[in-house]
Amino acid sequence: MDTKWNSMDRAPEEPLEQAAEPIQDEVKEGDSVPKRGRHVKAVIAFLAFVLGVSLVLGSLGAMAGRLIAQRGSPEWQVSDWQETEAFRAEVADYLQDFLSLGAGEHLNWYGTNVVQEGGYGSARWYGVTYSDAIEADSDFSSSSPVPSDKDLYYRNDKSVLYRVTNAKKDIYYSNVDDSQALSIYNKLPEGYNFMLAFLHGKVTIVKDGQTLDVYGDGIYDADSDWFVPGYENFPAGEGVEDVSVYMAVRETPLQYFTQNGVQTARMYWVYERLQEARAFYFRQAVLLGVGVLFLLLWLALRREKRLADQKLASWTLHIWTEPRLLAVAACLLWMTAGNPAASELAWASRYDIFENWDYWASLVGRYLLLLPVSNIPALLGLVWVLWLIHNDHRYNPREKHRSLWRLISIRLPRYTFQKRMNWLNRAALVLICVFPAAGVLLTISLGLSPQHWLFWLMAAFPVIAAAALLLILRKHAALAQDIGLLSGQVEAIRNGDLSTPLDLPEDADLRQTAEALNDIQAGLHTALAEQTRSERMKVELVSNVSHDLKTPLTSILSYAELLRQEPLEGAAADYARIIDEKAQRLRSMVQDVFDISKAAADQLPVRLERLDLAKLLRQTLADMDDPIQASHLTFKIDLPDAPVEIVADGRRLYRVFQNLIQNALQYALEGSRVHLTLTTEAGKAAASLRNVSREELPQGVDFTARFVRGDASRTDGGSGLGLSIASSFTEACGGEFRVETVADLFTAVVTFPLAD
Amino acid sequence: MNECILVVDDDPEIVGAIAITLEREGYRVLRACNGMEALDLCLDPAVRLILIDVMMPRLDGLSALIRIREKRNLPIIVLSAKSEDTDKILGLSMGADDYITKPYNPQELTARVRSQLRRYTSLGDIHAEGRKHLIVNGRLTYDPDSLVLQADGEAVRLTPTETKIVDLLMRNPGRIFPAEEIYRRVWSEDAYSCENTVMVHIRRIREKIELNPKEPDYIKVVWGIGYKMEQHG
Repeated sequence: MDTKWNSMDRAPEEPLEQAAEPIQDEVKEGDSVPKRGRHVKAVIAFLAFVLGVSLVLGSLGAMAGRLIAQRGSPEWQVSDWQETEAFRAEVADYLQDFLSLGAGEHLNWYGTNVVQEGGYGSARWYGVTYSDAIEADSDFSSSSPVPSDKDLYYRNDKSVLYRVTNAKKDIYYSNVDDSQALSIYNKLPEGYNFMLAFLHGKVTIVKDGQTLDVYGDGIYDADSDWFVPGYENFPAGEGVEDVSVYMAVRETPLQYFTQNGVQTARMYWVYERLQEARAFYFRQAVLLGVGVLFLLLWLALRREKRLADQKLASWTLHIWTEPRLLAVAACLLWMTAGNPAASELAWASRYDIFENWDYWASLVGRYLLLLPVSNIPALLGLVWVLWLIHNDHRYNPREKHRSLWRLISIRLPRYTFQKRMNWLNRAALVLICVFPAAGVLLTISLGLSPQHWLFWLMAAFPVIAAAALLLILRKHAALAQDIGLLSGQVEAIRNGDLSTPLDLPEDADLRQTAEALNDIQAGLHTALAEQTRSERMKVELVSNVSHDLKTPLTSILSYAELLRQEPLEGAAADYARIIDEKAQRLRSMVQDVFDISKAAADQLPVRLERLDLAKLLRQTLADMDDPIQASHLTFKIDLPDAPVEIVADGRRLYRVFQNLIQNALQYALEGSRVHLTLTTEAGKAAASLRNVSREELPQGVDFTARFVRGDASRTDGGSGLGLSIASSFTEACGGEFRVETVADLFTAVVTFPLAD
Repeated sequence: MNECILVVDDDPEIVGAIAITLEREGYRVLRACNGMEALDLCLDPAVRLILIDVMMPRLDGLSALIRIREKRNLPIIVLSAKSEDTDKILGLSMGADDYITKPYNPQELTARVRSQLRRYTSLGDIHAEGRKHLIVNGRLTYDPDSLVLQADGEAVRLTPTETKIVDLLMRNPGRIFPAEEIYRRVWSEDAYSCENTVMVHIRRIREKIELNPKEPDYIKVVWGIGYKMEQHG
């Protein structure tokens, strides 16, 4: 509901019925007159549109239908029924029968040596075909071999007067008195205006006193009007030449009863049919004219009609899509009823389609041509249903339309993906296995043969199954694609791509999953960014804090030093010493905390170079020789003579082993041995330091965690960060640091990959 | 004596402590608590050396350092709580002659002050004399002919072995010598578990020439590779 509605100066929801209220109301409420006037106009415009279109379309359709169905020249062109093809065919039939009477044997001109091209199209009138005529004739001849029976048939005919004689005069049939003897020279009886005489094998026709040209150029072909003997290529037979036939046709034919009591009126029907056709065309023409007038009215009120269209659209909005489609289908089905070509098609189905495909094609073409115009109510129904749908789509947004399919597609995603897939697969199974099987079983059990139309209906089962299978396969292909995209996305996220979300189509089955994955990705992205930010902040904080701590610490250390230089007595000297020592420890702790926080945040600068780990250990031991000698520990050193080359930052690694040795010096059992070994194995160098702890080692403690010490007290020296620094510095250099404790045996292992 | 030293730090207690330490060594001390004051006081011709903090209000140490350098040519030692290598390099490249991290060691502080003053006052003559065969490396001057090593112009007493090691290292500043090579060239013997021996001697040399033997400026261990004499400007 956007600008279309807004462009109207009033809300479209106001019911249209108000417009139909009596005019008096409008007069009373003066200011509402324009509105009401508009409503009235809208209704008028709409009705004019409906009536106009219906009438024009209906009349044109009906006329077209009649024209196509009738074959031959349009009936409205002739006013005289005696100038129609049907009349000439009837006259020819009559003549054939009369000649049969005269010849005393059954004649069939279709069997004569006529070049029979035009007979097919012009033979008969009442939709009875050429072949029918042969059959009917042969039936007739077999059941009544005596041609004189025809005399009984025609005796009471008032529309046609006849006199049949032959040369020997032994045959004489007539339904008129001799006094009124029919002759080409005599005046015709009152009410009769058409005279046909067959004399000496030639036909002479006099109509309204005028002699007609019967034979034209004397050759019978498709364009010849009269299908009577006497042409060069259609001469009268031997037994017929001496038969004389006079027949007079009434100007206005009548119905009559035959001698057997059957009501018949062949000439009358020809006459009446023409009258009816003329009346029909006249009626349709009038309707067409009225329709055009209505359309003109609609054109004049076209703007007002939009109001009605919109109102109508607001009603039709509530009709779901499926009933709409059903209505269209029903109209199409209804259309097939009453198609005159249907019987021809059914009759032709007796012939082999492939041998007579051109005949079939012409029939089918005729059928299709007649389809829209043979059932006018169905045509109008279809047009208006389609128009309503079109109107609805014109004024209502797509997403407002409701349908069963839409409902299902909205409801379906509420179920789990595997459930939906299960349903789909089960449906596929039913469609692929059960459906065609049912078709086959039905065909067999009903014993249908390929001639029966139901047999072909059964073929629809496998066709539907195949179509469904195709749809399901396409769905599976789309699904496979989506799963591929999804797994690719999972891989991408694992590889650290946190910025590109996966965009699956709106209707994809895995859309929800993809969205969930996008959420996870976004969450991960945020969390990671947050974490990085907080790590940096932590390092900055620690850096700032350690700097801030250093300033007062500098003062403390300076003055503690100065204090110690003062001549102090007794306890004061001790106090000064203690202050100095603790301040020194505080200083090392501040530096350690700073280093470790940098290492933990991966911001410890390392200068990696190729070095000999064995040498580094020797240097470290030499560097720490004094405290080692001073301790009561025995160091058992086992280092390979050959260089053990690794890539690391020597200064950081020195710090690692310095801390480890200090740790041993501080916590090893007095008088015990400390083992320092370096081994290379499987491309790795492992330096391990083992010592027996003086104190009982607590089990299940991560010794590399910050501020963890074996004795859990903090009264002795050391910041408690030694192992933690060793661990983080080792990792910063690309090595592995491991601490193992078995009972009181403490083992620290530093592992580095060997340099190539 | 009584050389005047300007101590600049925004913490008056630290300035006080440094002043006491230096005054006990016989120096005269001028005090400033920010860069602007330092700029004023450094114009006093009596000032021979400046100890300056980095993080200070109004004008920070490094900016003040640059501006002082425009006015006077005298040794400046930066005193900072920033202990990262990068901070030291930045300070030295800005024109500082030395860099001391807080918390400082008073002995080291006085040693460095003394060293800078000596170089500033007396060593200038040596350079002027142009004795080109001398090997000069920062505070150290080595005469390969007489095998005499001077630190801040003062002869260092070395044992014959130490002298050999110093000779090797001073002749090849910046080059890394593995312990085995030092041992071979000094002792003229095959090296076998010589690391400790070499290290002991190096530690002794350090104690004689380094201002802070625990954090040596000259003879350095290159961990996992060997030892070297650091090259100073």
